[in-house]
Amino acid sequence: MTSYGRRRAGLSRRTVALALPSALLGCAAPHRGTGRPGDSVVLTLLSHYASGALRTALQGPVDEWNATHDRVKVRTTAVEFSDLLTTFMVRQAAGRGADILQPYCLWTGQLVRAGVLRPAPSGHAGEIRRGYGTAAAGSASFGGRVYGYPTEAQTYALYYNRRLLREAGVGTPPRTWRELEETARRTTRRDRYGNSLVQGFGLSTYDDSTTVGLTLALLSAAGGRFVTADGRSTALDSPAGRAVLGLQRRLVDAGASDPGVNVYQAFPSGQVAMVVGAGWWTDSLKSVMGAAYRDVGVAPLPVPEPGDRPATLATGFLLGVNTACEHPAEAWEFLRWLNAEKVPVRDARVTRMSALQVSVGSLTGRADDMRALLGRGGDPNLRPFLDALAYAVPEPNGPGAQQAKSLLRKNIEALWTGQQSVAESLRAVRRQVDQEVARSW
Amino acid sequence: MVNTLAPKAPAPRPLGRRPASPAVEGRARHRRQSVVAYLFLTPALLFFAVFLILPLGFALLLSLSRWTGFDLGDIDPVGLDNFAALFADGATFLTPVLTNTLLFALGTVALALAGSVLVATCVDRLRFQGLWRTLYFLPIVTTVVAVGNVWKYMYEPGGLVNGVLNALGFGSVAFLADPDTALPSVIVVHAWASLGSAILILTAGLKSIPESYYEAAALDGAGPATVFRKITLPLLRPSLLFVCVTQFLTGLQSFALISVMTKGGPGDATAVAALEMYRRAFSYGDWGTASAAAFVLFAVVLAVTLAQLWLFRRKGEDA
Repeated sequence: MTSYGRRRAGLSRRTVALALPSALLGCAAPHRGTGRPGDSVVLTLLSHYASGALRTALQGPVDEWNATHDRVKVRTTAVEFSDLLTTFMVRQAAGRGADILQPYCLWTGQLVRAGVLRPAPSGHAGEIRRGYGTAAAGSASFGGRVYGYPTEAQTYALYYNRRLLREAGVGTPPRTWRELEETARRTTRRDRYGNSLVQGFGLSTYDDSTTVGLTLALLSAAGGRFVTADGRSTALDSPAGRAVLGLQRRLVDAGASDPGVNVYQAFPSGQVAMVVGAGWWTDSLKSVMGAAYRDVGVAPLPVPEPGDRPATLATGFLLGVNTACEHPAEAWEFLRWLNAEKVPVRDARVTRMSALQVSVGSLTGRADDMRALLGRGGDPNLRPFLDALAYAVPEPNGPGAQQAKSLLRKNIEALWTGQQSVAESLRAVRRQVDQEVARSW
Repeated sequence: MVNTLAPKAPAPRPLGRRPASPAVEGRARHRRQSVVAYLFLTPALLFFAVFLILPLGFALLLSLSRWTGFDLGDIDPVGLDNFAALFADGATFLTPVLTNTLLFALGTVALALAGSVLVATCVDRLRFQGLWRTLYFLPIVTTVVAVGNVWKYMYEPGGLVNGVLNALGFGSVAFLADPDTALPSVIVVHAWASLGSAILILTAGLKSIPESYYEAAALDGAGPATVFRKITLPLLRPSLLFVCVTQFLTGLQSFALISVMTKGGPGDATAVAALEMYRRAFSYGDWGTASAAAFVLFAVVLAVTLAQLWLFRRKGEDA
């Protein structure tokens, strides 16, 4: 036997040994059906729509499908977003992966490299490319192939508190970075002990969205990008990157931003004048703020100089089919029915997914659907997010994207808290991200 | 029921057969007893094999492989690459992650040990000792998530701690947002939360010191400080060793409290090894370096524990 042959045999034995627990677990897997009369195919769908309005919103169309289709039934399971990737991993390794998955687009490359996501068949891929905006379709693609139907699409814009701006003598939200800094300084207020009463511009180390999301949105507005076009190395160490981190550092140094404050609590409490956030927040703000929500306005993300082209960041989720799914054609057909088939809703013809997302205060990447639904009494604060779908840049989603994002976040926090200068942060991001991302490819 | 472990009475000599020598009989009895003992141990050994040896072996395999966490047939051997990646130029595992872990453990041990010795000595002289021990033990039975969140709010700019500082005329401190104060702030909480168990062990240790030593010291005119230094501390050494070793081990493996309070931030200021392992495995799908990091941490834990044992034993011999 050649050494290659021996190696293959060794790997094979090991694979068998390792796969044994999975096989045992697989024996206990529930019956998924055959599709013959009286034995419906049961497709499982795993998402993060685990509670409240989101769960109900998804269950509606799924119940409709189950009531109108005898051969294929869909069963939903959900976990909290924080447990979603872990659940994908554990269930997949145990041979119990769901047939249809709803991952965060950031994980697309990671899931594709791990052999979890099945590429969309050409008919579906064409439908996705035609029906969705560039950012949404790009978020659901990796290496030039589409891996699922984009569901909720999030773009970033500037939230501002009209009352706080008015009290500071500012009539309109800022359109440029110079105006942003000026407005931030004018709206900032502190007590005599240095406690922040009003943070002019919300920089918060609270989560990925408030650190990395905000930074990448501003980076897009400055014409920069986090990683190169092929996704294999970082491109942050650029004039645009320096401009973004420089802006943030100036805001912190001027006392207009207080990174230790949780903006998700402080903004609804009227303690933050402006903050960059994603569209999903509007619905949450409405329920938290009640009548005070009338003070909340949303404007397009300010650009560095007057006349610069608008740009921002787009993130989102996709619905894709597991490579381990035994009935992929049926799964893709269900996804087409949910995401591409138009049905009458409020005098408009939109997809079920578009109606679902708007019902929970979110958007999809189907601009025509969104205009039809929001034009009929929707929240005007969603419009800047909708407009941004046309020019937003998708979040990088290569194999090491999650790790790159975490490393970027650490260095942004180090910059905001004075541990690093702008130049040091840029150098550290480049060195750390390049090293780790290279391992992922 | 027959007690197979009990020594048997000598059997009557069978007619026409040569009697077995006492040595042969002893060996046979010993063998029977061993078989029975192993039979009784089998459930426990099986438990350890399934839940300790197998995961340990799997972790060792992963530390020498690349695996994304999704498909067991997709494990790709890479030799020592994962260990090399942890200590490569620009990698953050050695500094600040491992450094923070050691500082966290050292700080926790120092604070918890000093605090528990002080409190245990005071409690030992009070009435209603059970009540005091119960009060100090309460943080142990409270979930880490609750403890972490309560302290997080207390540390915030408008929180209780800053409120007290403001009332005393001092400015506010961004305890968890400032990289210089974040790690010490979390250490204080961890030490506070682990004080209860240390106090329990030390009060038990104090109770075991014979009263006659204190009486003799009083007759010789020794002061409280001398009594504490010359009698209490030396005789408390076994309890102190236990507290020291267990607190250090807990500190080195700490995860939940930091995850709740700071998530390792700001920057890398409170990033510790267990949190880094979790992130690498479950967030980045890099089970290889996560497992390699686990073995590095295991080596550190083993080295530190052996060093502590050696140090205490040497002091014991000197004493």
